[in-house]
Parts: sequence; structure tokens; C-alpha cells
Amino acid sequence: MRKSQKTNLDRSTSDTSALAVQNASSATGRRFSPLATAKLKQNLSWSTWAPAVITFVIAAALWQVTAIANPYVIPTIDQVWLSLINDADTYWKNMLVTGLEVLVGASSGIIAGFILAIIMAEFQIMERAIMPLVVVVMVTPIVAIAPALVVAFGFGMTPKFIVTALVVFFPMLVNSLAGLRDVDDRTLDVMKTLHASRWEIFRDLRFTGSMPYVFAGLRIALPLAIVGAAVAEFVAAGQQAGLGSLVTIAAAQANLPVTWASIALLCLMGVILISMLALVRKRVLWWSDGAAVGR
Amino acid sequence: MDTAQPHAGVHIENVSKSFGPDGARTLVLNHVSLSIKMGEFVSVIGPSGCGKSTLLKAVAGLLPVDSGTVMVDGMTVAAATKNKMIGLVPQSPALLPWRTVLDNVRLPMTVNPKANANRNLRDPQEILESFGLGAALDKYPGQLSGGMQQRVAIARAFVFDPSVLLMDEPFSALDEMNRDQQRLGLLDFWQSNRKAVMFVTHSVPEAIMLSDRIVVMGAHPGHIAEIIDVPLPRPRTIDVYATDEFRDLEGHVRSTLREVMGQKSA
Repeated sequence: MRKSQKTNLDRSTSDTSALAVQNASSATGRRFSPLATAKLKQNLSWSTWAPAVITFVIAAALWQVTAIANPYVIPTIDQVWLSLINDADTYWKNMLVTGLEVLVGASSGIIAGFILAIIMAEFQIMERAIMPLVVVVMVTPIVAIAPALVVAFGFGMTPKFIVTALVVFFPMLVNSLAGLRDVDDRTLDVMKTLHASRWEIFRDLRFTGSMPYVFAGLRIALPLAIVGAAVAEFVAAGQQAGLGSLVTIAAAQANLPVTWASIALLCLMGVILISMLALVRKRVLWWSDGAAVGR
Repeated sequence: MDTAQPHAGVHIENVSKSFGPDGARTLVLNHVSLSIKMGEFVSVIGPSGCGKSTLLKAVAGLLPVDSGTVMVDGMTVAAATKNKMIGLVPQSPALLPWRTVLDNVRLPMTVNPKANANRNLRDPQEILESFGLGAALDKYPGQLSGGMQQRVAIARAFVFDPSVLLMDEPFSALDEMNRDQQRLGLLDFWQSNRKAVMFVTHSVPEAIMLSDRIVVMGAHPGHIAEIIDVPLPRPRTIDVYATDEFRDLEGHVRSTLREVMGQKSA
């Protein structure tokens, strides 16, 4: 959602004020340009990071006050912190389990979603044939599917991989499909007058051209992958627990610090994933930022 | 390519094209016939909706025609594109933003490589240098000005030695100063690489400056109203704008355009 808005914005600026933008960007290099340095300076400046930090500090203070007033509702931050320090080993092990689920599940969901998007983009009949089924599967609540998968595949890692892959699959498919379809018509015209084959059009135009959408899909899909892994663990703790299981078990025992420490770690995993994605995106999609697209 | 070939160039005969659903079709091209000889520069000008872009797309093989024939060097358009005989310069540069300037110009060589045999492929680097882009080879399109991007697009259309160049208002997004510079650059290059050129434009001075003949089209439905010869000597320079011949031609083209527009409102 957020990304599609951004793409529209990019396009409208490059359409209406193409010259101004291009002139501006022509003065800047790709990396280490004066503009980039200026931007870095801006990022490091007080006014950029301070507002967010202040919000976090206020939120933490409110949390702490509430926790002290209601000791049976939420734990204080220091209790959570102590639990994390004291049982670092347990948390680390469980985090690795959940991390593995996210890694395997998300990568298979991403790859499957992208490949199916390619097939659907190239053969419209495949979209007509498969899309309704995909939609039916996707509107089925994942929380409802998870227990059924446990019956089918047991308490091992398999149902967790499947649930995680399933939640990732849909946003990847839809975004990649949109990206593969949304190529510049005029560039496509040039390719067609050269009698480019479908493979050549895919190789030279569609594949890389779809990447802004693919990354938008990843931004939605990666946090969802953590949701998928956690949900799968809720319904099937199994011998290898994971942070999701830790949450349910600790909550059942009304062990607030452990519950919230596990939640915090799930949150941390999401933050790490999104940050890594942003870094990769910057390297891969440098050409799509700043309206540098030759439309 | 053999210039002595009787069929060389573009031959459009009796082409009609309409759009829309059955029962509510709008005729966009009505029995249009036009020939562009090898090495001839022909501009097509006319009000919006006269079908000039449709005509160009038909020659490029991007739109099928309802009736009539379009031949390029004696071949159907389909066969001509298969042999990579048509170079297209669209309205926007349409470059791949993730490829360097040099790799963008290499694109036509790597696409449909079967058609590369027996042709005089140009060196992409050399052609870019002759377009004044020697310093920009390793830059990306986003780092270039609009005018430079359009020159890259023109280089991309010339590089694989097509017989016919189709240009769809390539300079329309540029400011006037830049446009003049690009026109002269194109003229300069074309002078030593004479292709059959079909150049769609909105600008009367541009049409006169560049062309051997100007095709004035009228709208509703699209048809050719008049074909005006431009006997100005070549090579042409910026001084052409100040000559009496230029001004007379400009008056002629403008009055034809006025007639065409008047027909529409009458």
C-alpha cells in the first residue's frame, strides 16, 4: 500500500517536472555525491532523529508508570530487561528456532510467489486458472489453517514452514505480478519494433523493471513472515519451542516478564528484517529512487 | 542496404484504421497513402487527433491496420521488424534506468540477434561519441539531462543500422533552446547516415528545418491534406531560420494547417 503510493508519486514527479528533476539529478553522482552527503548530514542532524527518540522515551515512561500502577497487567521495563539478561540462553535458542522458520518459510514463499507471478504475467490463461484458487486460500484465516496443518504434518518444523510460506506468498505474488505488468509502454514499443522475443523482453525489461514492486511486496511480506511463524508456534509448540510458543506458555503461567521479553524479541526480529531489506533495496534499487526513471 | 532497390523506403497505401467497439467505431485514418524514399526525411504534422501517431505506430508494426498495406523496403512490416529494419525513437527517451548509457545503446544488438547478420552494425561507443556523449558512456540515464537522454534514444535507434527511422515527437519534452540544439545534432548525424525518416511533430519550424517533405494531416477522420516540398539546400544550419524561403514555407505550412483546422470546425 505504502509503496504503491510512493511509486505513483515518483511517476507523477518524473512526468510533470521531468526536466527539472533530471537536471537536478544530473548534477549528482550515483554514490558519494554532494547530495548524498548532504542527505547523510541531514539524517545525523538533531531535528531528524530527535522527534522519534522523544516519542519512544515518552512511550517508555508511560509504560513504566502504567506497569508500576498495575503490576498484574504489564511488567516494568526493568523486569523484562532482567529476564532477558538472566535467561539469555533460552531466549537465544528460541529466537534461532523462530528465525529458522522465518528464513525457510519466507524464502520459499518469496520464490514461489515470484515464480508464479512470472508464469501468470506471461500466460494470462494461467492467471485466470490459478488466481481464484489462490484468493480462496488467502482469504481463509491462517490461524484456522495452522491447526489443520499440525494434524497433517505433526509438531515438527514442517507446518511452521508452510504457514510462514503461505502468509508471505500472497503479497509477493500480487506485487510481483503488478510489477511485471507495469513496464514502460514506450520502452516496450522499442523492444517490439526490434522483434524482441518474450524471453528477451522479460530478461531486459520486465525482470529488473518489476523490482520496485517486488521490494514493496517484501516490505509487507517479511513482517508477515514473523506473524506466520509465531502463529504456527501458538498452535503447535512442539519439542523445538520458538518465541511464539514461549509467549503462549509464559502467558498461560501469567509470567509477564517472559511473555513480554519474547514479544520484544519478535519485534526486534521484525526490525532487523526490515532494516536489512532497506539496505538491500538501496543497493538494488538505486535507479528507482529520486525519479531517475527514464519515463 | 541497397539504395537502388525500387521498393526501398516506406510505402503506405490506402491505409485505414478505426478504433472502438463495433457499432461505435471512430475512423482514425481514412485511406492514407504516402511513400518515403530511401534517404528521405519526411515530417508529419497536423492537429491533435489527425492520426499522425497512429500512422507511425502502423509503420512500426505496433498497430495492425484495418485495410491497406504498409511496406518497408518491399517487405511487410512484420517481416521488416523481424529483420530489425525499423528504428523507433519514442516521445520519451524510454531508456532502461538501470543500464548505463553505453549498455542502453547496446540493447538493440543483443535483442533479436538473429537479425544481426549481414548488416553494418555500428560501434555503440563511436556513435555515442559522435552524438557528443563520449563523456557520458558510463553514466546512467537518471544522471543526464532530458536532451542528452533523447540523444541516447536516437543513438539507440541508429546503432543497428535500420533502413527506416520513425520518430514520434522526440523533442517535444525539451525546452526551445535545447530543442534547436537537438534538431541540428540530428540533422548533422542524418546527413552522413541517410535513412528514410518519418518524423512526427507539432512544430512547424522543426518540420521545415529537418524535412525534405512535410505531410500536413487533417483530422476527423485522419487524412493527408497536403504534401509540401521543402527545397531548402542541405546541409542546413541555424541560419536557415532567417531566410526568406524559410519564412515563405512557414507561411505556407501554417495556412494549410489553418485550413485543415477550419474544416474541422466548419
